[in-house]
Amino acid sequence: MHKVWAVIRREFVERVRTRTFLLSTLLFPALMIGITVLPVLLDRRVQAPKRIAVLDGASGEAGARVTDGLAAAKRTGGTGAARYVVTRVVAGADVDRQRDSLVRQVGVRGEVEGLDGVLVISDDAVTTGKIPYYGANVGSPQDMRRLETEVQTALRLERLRRAGIDPFVAMPALRPIDLQAQKVSGGTVTGESGDASFILAYAMSFLLYMALVLYGNQVMTSVVEEKASRISEVLMGSMRPFQLLLGKVLGVGAVGLVQLGVWAGTAMALTRFRAQLAGLFGVAPDSLRTMPIPEVSPGLLAVFLLFFVLGFLFYASLYAAVGSTCSTVQETQQASVPVTMTIAVGLILMFSLFGEPNGSLARTLSLLPPFAPFMTPVRHALVRLSPVEIALSALVVAAGVVAVAWLAGQIYRTGILMHGRRASLREVWRWLRAG
Amino acid sequence: MYDTAIALERVTKRYAGHTAVRSLDLAIPRGGIFGLLGPNGAGKSTTIRMIMNILVPDEGRITLFGGEAASRDLSARIGYLPEERGLYKKMRVLDHLVFLGETKGLPRRRARELSGQWLARLGLGDWAARAVEDLSKGMQQKVQFIGALLHEPELVVLDEPFSGLDPVNSQVMKDVVVEMARAGRTVLFSTHIMEQAEKMCDRVAIIARGEKLVDGSLADVKRADGDRHVALAFHRNREAAVRVLADRSLVARTDDYGASAEVTLAPHANGDALLEALLGAGVGISRFELVEPSLQSIFIAKVGADAATAPALEESRA
Repeated sequence: MHKVWAVIRREFVERVRTRTFLLSTLLFPALMIGITVLPVLLDRRVQAPKRIAVLDGASGEAGARVTDGLAAAKRTGGTGAARYVVTRVVAGADVDRQRDSLVRQVGVRGEVEGLDGVLVISDDAVTTGKIPYYGANVGSPQDMRRLETEVQTALRLERLRRAGIDPFVAMPALRPIDLQAQKVSGGTVTGESGDASFILAYAMSFLLYMALVLYGNQVMTSVVEEKASRISEVLMGSMRPFQLLLGKVLGVGAVGLVQLGVWAGTAMALTRFRAQLAGLFGVAPDSLRTMPIPEVSPGLLAVFLLFFVLGFLFYASLYAAVGSTCSTVQETQQASVPVTMTIAVGLILMFSLFGEPNGSLARTLSLLPPFAPFMTPVRHALVRLSPVEIALSALVVAAGVVAVAWLAGQIYRTGILMHGRRASLREVWRWLRAG
Repeated sequence: MYDTAIALERVTKRYAGHTAVRSLDLAIPRGGIFGLLGPNGAGKSTTIRMIMNILVPDEGRITLFGGEAASRDLSARIGYLPEERGLYKKMRVLDHLVFLGETKGLPRRRARELSGQWLARLGLGDWAARAVEDLSKGMQQKVQFIGALLHEPELVVLDEPFSGLDPVNSQVMKDVVVEMARAGRTVLFSTHIMEQAEKMCDRVAIIARGEKLVDGSLADVKRADGDRHVALAFHRNREAAVRVLADRSLVARTDDYGASAEVTLAPHANGDALLEALLGAGVGISRFELVEPSLQSIFIAKVGADAATAPALEESRA
């Protein structure tokens, strides 16, 4: 055990010390903070108010209402700055000519400030809801949606007025609804929302997939490098191949857990300390949109971690075995395709089961070691599985881990001392039988 | 206490297509330096790997320290420097040695202490905090050497320890090996450089094509072949000398170095007859001396020129 510890420590310390690890670990949180804060900052600082002309060809107050609505719109970030500078142009006899001359000013830069866009309001537009807008920049969906919302609100009021309905009565009646889905399991409300379950299941399986491909590959590369540098023979003089294999898989796994931990911690901290973060950048807290972090029950977290660890052990052993049959990192890229494909199939199958998490296919896959690490935690997140079902699945995977680790150990034992070309499948079969 | 550090009994190892080691018996006594000699591909490394429990023999038995335990379970008592050497390139020298010590069962702190001492002794003290890849090849070899000795093992197995070393470093390591043997520890090393073996070894075994040809103390090995060797030097009529030396009733083999030669007498000939023949042919002799054979000449005589090249299959072994 002392020796396995030495290998674990070496793998862990040497990896954590590298610049690559430091960068990739810190880059992700930086990216998340950036995604959260930057849009707000950009919105507030970089953009001047948009100059919009409203060409009002409608009867009644439609044009005026739109103009007032836009002028009242405030920028996000809590500074109270106006979003638009609006000019209302009342339409004369030749609307088309008026429109064309306004459009000519769009996008003009210089001493005389041009326009950012022209809205054309007509009676027809009020009825059909089709409002022409001529803008210098119509590419940003977010900007367009904002403008649309403002115009829509203004025109609704106008339509209600034309129909003779008091807007103060009608508007509350038209308030949109939001379905508050609550998950029920075993007859009791779990307190988790439907959205939360979905996001959680989705995030979990992606995390598992990422960890497997990322850290499984690291195990494989590390095995090949040990072979290439010929250090494996020195180590074989002092420990069993299986001890080295175990130490390596656990060491890399620990690095993976630390990195994922830092990432998950950042995501949670961002939600919890949103106000402080907002203060730090001088923006209003409500304007920060953070990733929705669902409430995770300790039970679900435990199931997730259990299958995460089992899945990692299962696939990392396979990757190590593949690595030991190769002599160069390039060779492993090709040799590891079957393993990587199996992981991808697991992920795809898991997505296809969101619709029917209790179907017979889903149940079967939960009892197959290569796929259960994806299936079982996700199914549990969607539809609370019984403890028996979870335990059974975990047992099957654990048995699979033991079998695969034994298999990998047999291959690894011989492969690690082989040099030269990549071992053929027939040779690998012979190594297995020799054990 | 045991008397035989390593004992091999009828050990055989086969690879697909050929036999690397054939029914080999070896007894390596406790204490002293034992040289395992042989041409390239003779089966030296395979034998050593079997001793180290890295390979499993197909037949026969290997006993270490007189007990049944396998080498890997005794690794705290055995130091091993394989022929295929390697280090983790990115690791710092001191960390690397501590790791190697730990894999031999040393407590971390003790490993650190000993590593520092060894690095200082071999002149690498200033390099302890540097990455292995910053070191020259010779320095890396010293680090590997330290790694094999760090845990103060009572048995050290060194596979071609001096290959690729410059004379200065070679000398430093030779001194360390000799000192260990003096302290009562057992050193087994393989080599195909006979001069080195001749100077250092108490006992030698010569193997070729997986079979043992000679085994015993250096003195015995030489005596068994004694009085059959003549060192010659000529100053006149060399052509006549060459004709005399070609007479197979007098001379079995000649190692011709140009102005001098080392001659192995034919089975029923003696020195007097050869001297007479040379004088009779009118050769001017500046040296005629019955000598102990050099290990080199014994080696060549036993192994034969043909065995110096291994069969092609040997190259593809694991």
